Amino acid sequence: LNIYFFFFPSQTVTGNFANVIHGLNANHLTDQVIQRSKRMILDTLGVGLLGTSTEVCHKVTQYSKIYSSDISSTIWGHLDFRLPPLYAAFVNGVAVHSMDFDDTWHPATHPSGAVLPAVIALSEAFPQKKKISGLDLLLAFNVGIEVQGRLLRFSSEARNIPKRFHPPTVVGTMGSAAACAKLLALDRLKCKNTLAIAASYAGAPLANAATQTKPLHVGNAAKHGLEAACLASQGLQGNKQILDMESGIGAFYTDYNPQTLPTLQSYPWLLDQQDVAIKRFPAHLGTHWVADAASSVRKKLVESSDNLLPLDKIEKIILKVPEVKYVNRPSPTSEHEARHSFQFVACSALVNGSMSVQSFASENVHQPALRELLCKTQLEHPPDNTPSFDSLYCEVSVTLRDGNTISDRCDTFYGHWRKPLKKEDLEKKFQSNASSVLPAEATEGIIETVYNLENVEDCSVLSTFLSGRSARALSEKRHAQSNIVGFG
Amino acid sequence: LWETVTSSFASFIHGVQPEHLSKIVRHRSKRMILDSIGVGLVGSTTHVFDIALQYCRLYSPVAVSSVYGKPGIKLSPTLAAFTNGVATHSMDFDDTWHPATHPSGAILPALLAASQMLPPSTKPNGMDFLLAFNVGLEVQGRLMHFSTEAHNIPKRFHPPSVVGTMGSAAATAKLLSLSTAQCTHALGIAASLAGAPMANAATQAKPLHIGNATRLGFEAALLAARGMEANPLILDDIPGCSGFSVFYSVYQPKPLSTPSDHHEFLLEKQDIAFKRFPAHLGMHWVVDAALSVRNLFIHYAGSFSPSLIRTIVLKIPVSKYINRPFPSSEHEARHSFQFNACTALLDGEVGLSSFTESSIHRQELRELLDKVVVEHPEDNVANFDKMYGEVELLLHSGDVLTGKCDTFYGHWRKPLSKESLLKKFRSNASHVLSEEKIETIITMVDNLENLSDSSQLACSL
Repeated sequence: LNIYFFFFPSQTVTGNFANVIHGLNANHLTDQVIQRSKRMILDTLGVGLLGTSTEVCHKVTQYSKIYSSDISSTIWGHLDFRLPPLYAAFVNGVAVHSMDFDDTWHPATHPSGAVLPAVIALSEAFPQKKKISGLDLLLAFNVGIEVQGRLLRFSSEARNIPKRFHPPTVVGTMGSAAACAKLLALDRLKCKNTLAIAASYAGAPLANAATQTKPLHVGNAAKHGLEAACLASQGLQGNKQILDMESGIGAFYTDYNPQTLPTLQSYPWLLDQQDVAIKRFPAHLGTHWVADAASSVRKKLVESSDNLLPLDKIEKIILKVPEVKYVNRPSPTSEHEARHSFQFVACSALVNGSMSVQSFASENVHQPALRELLCKTQLEHPPDNTPSFDSLYCEVSVTLRDGNTISDRCDTFYGHWRKPLKKEDLEKKFQSNASSVLPAEATEGIIETVYNLENVEDCSVLSTFLSGRSARALSEKRHAQSNIVGFG
Repeated sequence: LWETVTSSFASFIHGVQPEHLSKIVRHRSKRMILDSIGVGLVGSTTHVFDIALQYCRLYSPVAVSSVYGKPGIKLSPTLAAFTNGVATHSMDFDDTWHPATHPSGAILPALLAASQMLPPSTKPNGMDFLLAFNVGLEVQGRLMHFSTEAHNIPKRFHPPSVVGTMGSAAATAKLLSLSTAQCTHALGIAASLAGAPMANAATQAKPLHIGNATRLGFEAALLAARGMEANPLILDDIPGCSGFSVFYSVYQPKPLSTPSDHHEFLLEKQDIAFKRFPAHLGMHWVVDAALSVRNLFIHYAGSFSPSLIRTIVLKIPVSKYINRPFPSSEHEARHSFQFNACTALLDGEVGLSSFTESSIHRQELRELLDKVVVEHPEDNVANFDKMYGEVELLLHSGDVLTGKCDTFYGHWRKPLSKESLLKKFRSNASHVLSEEKIETIITMVDNLENLSDSSQLACSL
């Protein structure tokens, strides 16, 4: 008998990616990767649940209702209707990014929002006999994150805060596609084609950041990645060198140097080496440094002024921040603009002490005291303040009428990967977000399920909790004989 | 009043009226509509179309819009647009403009689907439809003039996926009578849905570029209609934070003048090219050159005798994605100077059947392909307005026969006659429609301005 060594030629980067997506299995997941990714999952769910109450989410929901199908997936926070998987991924993805409250990675992107809605929606689309386990979901999720991270390292452009394409729309689409291909257990060839097809959906310009359309970037990344995997699954083919060519994914970058991935043997996940940042309030990550520095300055001001905040004695506020044009807004008028304004967050933190979801409500955005302070605020861009989430800092200086200046500097805000949120605080954020739309049973159920995800036999319990079904209904479902549970 | 570029576009889309359409523009655009339908009908017989249709059929209930070649099937509007867009570009048989893009496939399917979506009381008439179509064309053309990069055959982003998406958003916004503000937002939302890389050209995924352009632009308009807002300066130059400019390395936007009494549409000055066979436009030059030299050769040798040929020299512009010495799939074959030249030499014509599996892998063809060498004369620019094709046969005898084509028949400098256009349409449509239906469509498009309910066009497919 001859002994064959099955050699899968992976000379192309694309083929190599396909091999890795296909070849990674649960055994490759390390403890740290599991722990970090579960935190990301929990945070993303909470953020998405909260986001279902936003105006942008209402609009896309209304829109998506014109589509329906026999197969449907959960819309987070809703018991009253479901949508086809594609549109569930879209709507839930929009919800996740609706308030800019979702996680951020380095190099810069919002990794989870592009992947989680897609894999959860897809997990509900399998025939009842096929159970998707928590571990399947966790693995697919991590494949989606990993692919994004690897692609971001193909261009030096990606290391800094973006200026041209909004990263979730480029790498997020590819990550969603890879994750869905994994969950669908597509073969290597179809994994390759998934990536190829997804590339033709990738890429949206940054100019829609700070507008109501920005959340759609993540929603579309999730949706289109899922669509690419579905089309590939049905046999559609694209360019098998999509990651290799300058006219492929290279089209989105001015410098592009693709590399093959490490071998599957003890695979080194990027999430192991580089954690994400979890936001404490719903605004662009850059503003988190500003908030921490401003809060600290406020404390000093109050202490030195008989425990009163001397707002009317403030002459000038200077913020030393990196140069990031789309977060430089002296006078934001909408919630979307306010979330992308160094100036707004600084003044809001000074006036109110800390930032929260409420800080961006209309009445707070237009607070007169805040508006007054905004007029006195200026930005400075020290040359050593590089526009990278790994190295930027913020210094807030408040000069009073009497000439005194109080300042403070923040190098690493609480929630950054260098100073990750403690478990209690992560849970607190989730509870606060999720309880705005779900009953306590469901929020507890989600926490429990996510923390135990790798041991969950059937991840559909997660979807059930996400829709807000009660525990009684859940146990009824577990015992149900029927195949597809109908919803109105 | 100083207007931003973006708001000028929105004002144009909102304010332009049927009276602004000149006779020439109406005539040319109707030819485009007819050709596009025919191409879509024959495209409904392709494999890529099957995949797209199967996928979209998962979403059935609010199914109101027709699908090319499938009278029993309806889909939801944007998915019908998607499927029909895929059909239109499935064989690379659809129209091409200058600067380079495939304009009609990106807008017609959305308009057809949208017309069926509107309630009976607000159905747009034929004139509204024709106007919306031209709005979609005009916006595409104007956007392409914002970058000198757009004048040449593309290298990075596939133009239909960039300007086509915007054109579809504009066209559907017009048909749906969106307000000026909504038109602005439709453009902004569409920009976030635009842009696919060139690498998928010459693959089965390329037709999706048109399918998605027409579908996603339509989606953008529908979202804008529901109040979604985007960046109102999306077309303007925004230093440090790219808008639509992101797709170009050089970008100089200019405002569109508000149509007062008179607006000159780009289509007036710059006509379209219709393809005579389903392959990339560049192929049409080398094919006409090859046919010309083939005639000389037959005259010289009495018959087409490949054994007398030592070398075939193709003089073509530099463009990597259409330079393929040995294509192995139909998609690659449609994007191969070499393949099309040799097919023309061998068969005396290039048509639908030239791209079947058996035709592509013919021994005689492969032998001819072996003899091909490619040259890139400096004066042969990769630009659909300036390029040429030259085919030289270097015979063993030492004689050299040459055929050159500056302007192929079907190019805007040498437009297809009415008879030729109708012949193409009838040939395409007959793959899936009865003669009666075919003639109905021809009549309807010819009389489009007088049609009281334009959704009849979509219903007749």
